[in-house]
Amino acid sequence: MKTYLTIFSLSLMLLLQFSCKKDFLSKTDPTKVDQSLFYKDQTEIDQAIIGNYGLLQAVANNQWLFNEMVSDNTTFDFNPNDRGQADKMESFETWTYTAVNPNIATCYNLHYQNIYNINNTLYRMQNATLSDSLKKADEGQLKFMRAYLYFELVQYFGNVVVITQPLQQPSDAWNYSRKPVDSVYAQIESDLKAAASGLPARYSAANVGRATKGAALALLGKMYLTQKKYPEAVSTLSQVPALGYALATNYADVFNPVKKNGPESIFEIQYQGGNDLGEWSSFIYTFAPRLSKGFVTGFAQSNPGGWNTPTNDLINDYEANDNRKAASVGLDFVSPITGQVVPYIKKYQHPHTIYGRTDDDWPVLRYADVLLMLAEAINEKDGPTADAYTDLNLVRERAGLPDVSGLDQTAFRQKVFHERRVELAFENWRWFDLKRTMTADQLTAFLNAYGAREKATPTVPRQGIPSSPSDYQFQSFRALYPIPNNELIINKALGQNQGY
Amino acid sequence: MNSSAKLNSATLLLRAIVLFCFFSITCSSLLFAQNTTVSGTVSSATTTLPIEGATVMVKGTTTGVLTDPQGKFTINAAPGAALEISYIGYETQTVTPAGKAPLTVILKTAAAKDLNEIVVVGYGTQKRKDITGSVASVDLGAVKDVPAANPGRLLMGQVSGVAVKQLTGRPGQQMEIVVRGLSSLGAGSQPLYVVDGFPIGTSLDYAINPNDIENITILKDAVSSAIYGARGSNGVVLITTKSAKTGRKSLEFSANYGVQNIPDSRRTKVLTGEEFAQFKKDNFMDKIRYFQNREPGIDEVPLDYRYPEQTKTSTNWFNEILHNNAPFQNYNLTYSQGTQDYHSLFSVGYLKQDGVLKYTNFEQFSIHSNIEGKFNDFIRTGLNINGFYAINNVGPGTEGRDNLVGSTLLMDPRAPVYNADGTFNSYIGGHDGIFGFPNPVQLLKEQLNVVRVGQALANGFVELKFLKNFTFKTSVNALLRYSAQKQFTPSTISGENAPAPRDASESDNAYSTINISADQLLTYDKHFGLHQLNVLAGYTAQHETVRGLTGTGSQYPNDLTPFLGLAAIRSASSTEYGWSMNAAFGRVNYSYDDRYLFSATFRREGSSRFGENNKFANFPAVSAGWRIMNEKFMPKSGWLNDLKLRGSWGVTGNNNIGNYTQLAFMNNNNYILGNNLAQGYIVANLPNQELKWETSKQLDLGLDLLAFKNKFSFTAEYYKRVTDNMLLGVQVPAISGFTSYVANIGKVQNSGLEFSGSYRTNIGSVGFWSNANATMNRNKVLAIRGANDQILNGTFYGPYSISRVGRPIGMFYGYKVLGIFNSDQEIKNSPTQDGAVPGVYKYLDADGNGVISYDTKDMVEIGNPWPKLSYGLTLGADYKHFDISVLFNGATGFDVYREIEKSTMNMDGVFNVLEDSKNRWRSAQNPGNGRLAGTLTWKWERESNSRYVYKGDFLWFKNISLGYTFSKQRLPFKTFRIYGSIDNFLLFTKYPGANPEASVTGGGTYPGVDDETYPLSRTFTLGLKVNF
Repeated sequence: MKTYLTIFSLSLMLLLQFSCKKDFLSKTDPTKVDQSLFYKDQTEIDQAIIGNYGLLQAVANNQWLFNEMVSDNTTFDFNPNDRGQADKMESFETWTYTAVNPNIATCYNLHYQNIYNINNTLYRMQNATLSDSLKKADEGQLKFMRAYLYFELVQYFGNVVVITQPLQQPSDAWNYSRKPVDSVYAQIESDLKAAASGLPARYSAANVGRATKGAALALLGKMYLTQKKYPEAVSTLSQVPALGYALATNYADVFNPVKKNGPESIFEIQYQGGNDLGEWSSFIYTFAPRLSKGFVTGFAQSNPGGWNTPTNDLINDYEANDNRKAASVGLDFVSPITGQVVPYIKKYQHPHTIYGRTDDDWPVLRYADVLLMLAEAINEKDGPTADAYTDLNLVRERAGLPDVSGLDQTAFRQKVFHERRVELAFENWRWFDLKRTMTADQLTAFLNAYGAREKATPTVPRQGIPSSPSDYQFQSFRALYPIPNNELIINKALGQNQGY
Repeated sequence: MNSSAKLNSATLLLRAIVLFCFFSITCSSLLFAQNTTVSGTVSSATTTLPIEGATVMVKGTTTGVLTDPQGKFTINAAPGAALEISYIGYETQTVTPAGKAPLTVILKTAAAKDLNEIVVVGYGTQKRKDITGSVASVDLGAVKDVPAANPGRLLMGQVSGVAVKQLTGRPGQQMEIVVRGLSSLGAGSQPLYVVDGFPIGTSLDYAINPNDIENITILKDAVSSAIYGARGSNGVVLITTKSAKTGRKSLEFSANYGVQNIPDSRRTKVLTGEEFAQFKKDNFMDKIRYFQNREPGIDEVPLDYRYPEQTKTSTNWFNEILHNNAPFQNYNLTYSQGTQDYHSLFSVGYLKQDGVLKYTNFEQFSIHSNIEGKFNDFIRTGLNINGFYAINNVGPGTEGRDNLVGSTLLMDPRAPVYNADGTFNSYIGGHDGIFGFPNPVQLLKEQLNVVRVGQALANGFVELKFLKNFTFKTSVNALLRYSAQKQFTPSTISGENAPAPRDASESDNAYSTINISADQLLTYDKHFGLHQLNVLAGYTAQHETVRGLTGTGSQYPNDLTPFLGLAAIRSASSTEYGWSMNAAFGRVNYSYDDRYLFSATFRREGSSRFGENNKFANFPAVSAGWRIMNEKFMPKSGWLNDLKLRGSWGVTGNNNIGNYTQLAFMNNNNYILGNNLAQGYIVANLPNQELKWETSKQLDLGLDLLAFKNKFSFTAEYYKRVTDNMLLGVQVPAISGFTSYVANIGKVQNSGLEFSGSYRTNIGSVGFWSNANATMNRNKVLAIRGANDQILNGTFYGPYSISRVGRPIGMFYGYKVLGIFNSDQEIKNSPTQDGAVPGVYKYLDADGNGVISYDTKDMVEIGNPWPKLSYGLTLGADYKHFDISVLFNGATGFDVYREIEKSTMNMDGVFNVLEDSKNRWRSAQNPGNGRLAGTLTWKWERESNSRYVYKGDFLWFKNISLGYTFSKQRLPFKTFRIYGSIDNFLLFTKYPGANPEASVTGGGTYPGVDDETYPLSRTFTLGLKVNF
């Protein structure tokens, strides 16, 4: 026994020697890449750029709340039983959102998270091993995305913080204040100009989906239009057709995942269903009528959200024989409770192989939008010229509608505005179009008229539960969303938008 | 089938071990020497009556007898050998027989506290009388009959300043233990557990079989816990496992069998099938009455609930999931033997606890062994091993509204459990606007969720004595752990609002842990004249690595083969993480003339968890004590037997912030380019290289006294602990790209008073004893980020908790309910509450702007989750062969936010509701009890508000036990005791929920929120304990 004990003791002492390595107290997470060691070369810079594209998916996933449901295009399939969603989601349709709305906070945070990653990549790539040509294209993609994010932020919130560098210390975040709308646009303009000069017009097949020169020009044109800088808009947008875009023959093909990134596509958010890669979209599951189970999605176990429901207001706005209506709105689902049709968006309804995982991309910029913007810009600058008619009628012809002619400037403006509504319905441009084409008073009157109609005859019956008195009472301050309450708690100096 | 095969092999193993033990006993009892016979009588000093059943042992041997009913004994002993006489409740006496005359032994009643008791402290031991810190030892004798599956249960109500909460009744679940109040907002607040000198971390898990515990001490103040440095702030629980005693040989067997039930009083009452249909009907018609201002016709009411009286089925879903008389069984066998040079102890245990929810159970096999040997007078060595294997059928998620227990209160009571053909009715509700749920009985039966854990905890040491006063001890400790969880949901299980069949899915994970530490301790012990000096110097290093593998699968061809290989869609991931630390430390204890006591400790520690710029920190502590009783001026013959004043101050730390918080990493974030996956990265978090320990500075003042012939002991303590550099997720403006980062910001103070006392006496032949303790803790946030800052947790429709400077951590926050609106006129005359209709709550316009805004602006503090007073009381008595003990614990002066009522009192008609809903507001003429809102709308009812806050005050009659000890010498046992006990006996509280200590999140800055948890059972057990 004693011998064993001795052996045991001796081996114990040997074991004790293990603990004195020099780096004993340095540990890093072996499953992750340390940020300080990243951004070395083109491979890593490109991975960071791809990471930023990935974040755009998150932006696109909820964008319909802030850009469509808040407008006159869509409403929701009222659920008398689950009221937990009321404040978070329905408030966009009824214009009752407040500063504690968690979706607004998520949206705000997500945009700045994306901007931080862009800023950080732009900053870190200065010390990476890169050729000048690669660097220009890399910067172009990042700046295009940054411009797109600021373009959204400035329209959502008005004056916003403009930050173009990564923070050196977390505490520096308190040193930034909101900048006037004009300087936000100045930042967007400079980013987009750099992007337009640095980006290629086309990519190899393996790189389709990245931002192109056309995307930068189209967005820049849209910004000029928003700022009512019509000559700049015309000169910018008219560079786009030369880049080789064309309208798809069939309107429905634009949204068909089998034909994604087609001739009309300028920039779209890429998704992929049918596999386990985690890159799928699932818009139709959010948009299909609540009680439609598998009727719309094709999977019987579905429990769809019933959000972003096309309003009667929009449905009635389609001209007779407009072939876009059938491609855009589904009118074949009848509620088992009310016996009435519940409309739904068809643009993102396509067959898919795995429950909950669709292949549908999200269209951001496409050629039809550019044509309509050109028509609008030319009309505003010079009146309805032949060029303006050409652009407008190209879009109408594809929709199976007769050409228009002989309009005065105002009528042409109205025509283009109508065309934008139906052509781009549910593509998240309606709210921005409403805001940029109307004065505050016009917008208030316009929305309240729509609200009164929707309140009196809801697109989806409310099963006996009336709306709140304050629902559908649009006040002009609501054209801007509130800065999230939490941001003001953290930094009071930020200041809330007027009215909230 | 698999598990029963495993069970069989495990049982075989157990049997083999038992056989082996018996074999060892037979072999090892062959040594005897030449002896003489000694006889005598044992009697009590207090009662003067003879004591039956007292143990008489020949000191240093394994020979012993018991006294007969006349107190007489006869024993064979070597000439000149000393005898040791002991009996429960009396002080043990050692006598050396002189000559052949019969001995007369008079035993004195044991003191309420033994001043010479050896108390385990950090890296050593100390005599109770020399201790100058706040060190509580747990009286394990007082809780010996408690059916404990977990050591935490033994601490409940036993120690002042130590709050032990049973958050859930799930079998095998450990308790939440908080020492002297919550002192951290961001880092963990659990104490450090040290088993046989090995700091195993902040979770005890199932590591130790309660039966194998020799003693537990809890280090509460800085001077006792600072030697554990950056892990000492939340207190330290020292567990020492059993080891053999010199001269004793013993074989002890204990068995414990019980049944568990949920008493009717702890079951939440909801509406029956018929009542629910009526509720739905009323709800429907009341809406028409108010909104359309007409009386609805009966034909308008949906058929589903048009005629409530015709409801055929009424299922009480909560009752359906209960396993009545769920068995609890626990068996332990301990063999020990000790000679002068060599001690060994070996024990095996088996515990099986069926859950009070059907098909859930917990099963554990444990072993413990301890070997210690003396090589010669200078070298000593030893080895300790604790191992277990546990199988935990945890079942489906049970806690909270979205899980099993909460959902049984909500689902349609008109649906039957089974279809007419005996198969499960797999989808409950899901029509006519009623939420659809999976069948909870089917869920329990068919959903697999089993956790298997195997663990070995080993310590070995070598101790060298040299140069007379020096001892050097070197030890190595290791914890090896393997745990695996398998979950499989078959296609037959419905989801919430999603009827079966659905895709089957599986999730498997396996983790292995290795945690190793090595300690080197040098001690110097010297007495010279009236001086007594003890010096300790040590060095320790420890590291832990965890490796894990996770796989998930879905789309199975059938439900028969729940293995990932058969899933059409699979994913896998693996992980690894770890930490390391090292430290040098020392302690000096000095006492002069048994009157003046001084102690100082110091530790310098480094850790991998902290930023490059703050790798090391220092933790000093000092203390002093004055044993006034030993002063010449103190009368020695008065009622006072001992009096000590003591005080300590020191610095400790808390490093529970995760492993790599100071670093910034990249997260994978992919995209599709060219219709193919493109792998990308984004930044995961903000780094903070300045990160360091939370430091606590704690002052402790205490008084210990012993009085009334040592029968009464009393300790009073005051403490104040200020925790600074708090590790906190600090919110940053989102423009930084993030919403928060971890920094050392914020300051919290906990101060309090603790009292504990024990009393022990004999009246006639009845012995009484009692332990009582009380704690009053106050907690206050002193700083967060800036002067006006606050931490708000929660969501608008959930509870909010707020931590503000000058206020306690985590106060409930919400609208204050002033009443219920009775009419449109009343709504008009009140501050604007947009969309309010009669029957909703009228809220306080806290900011006085005339509008109740639908956000947090009008919210105020509406409750305090922290008890003002918590207490425990244990009473016991012995009479001849009988003993009885009762245990109480309780807390007062705190609130509970009953979150589950957001669902169980959801008036939309989508859920079943509480019986209490009959007292809801229905119309101006029929306003109910004035507390419960009506069914007309949801708005202004379910927001975080004071209506959901209840007083949590409670008193638990936690346990009552009655035992009988046979001590006939003719039995083949030394002692034989049988007992019965009732655990979680009675709960006295006005709180309407089942468990006032339940908490969804388990504390932190979001405490005291009850969302309905696994219910606590009442357990009736019978046990026996035999000493051979």
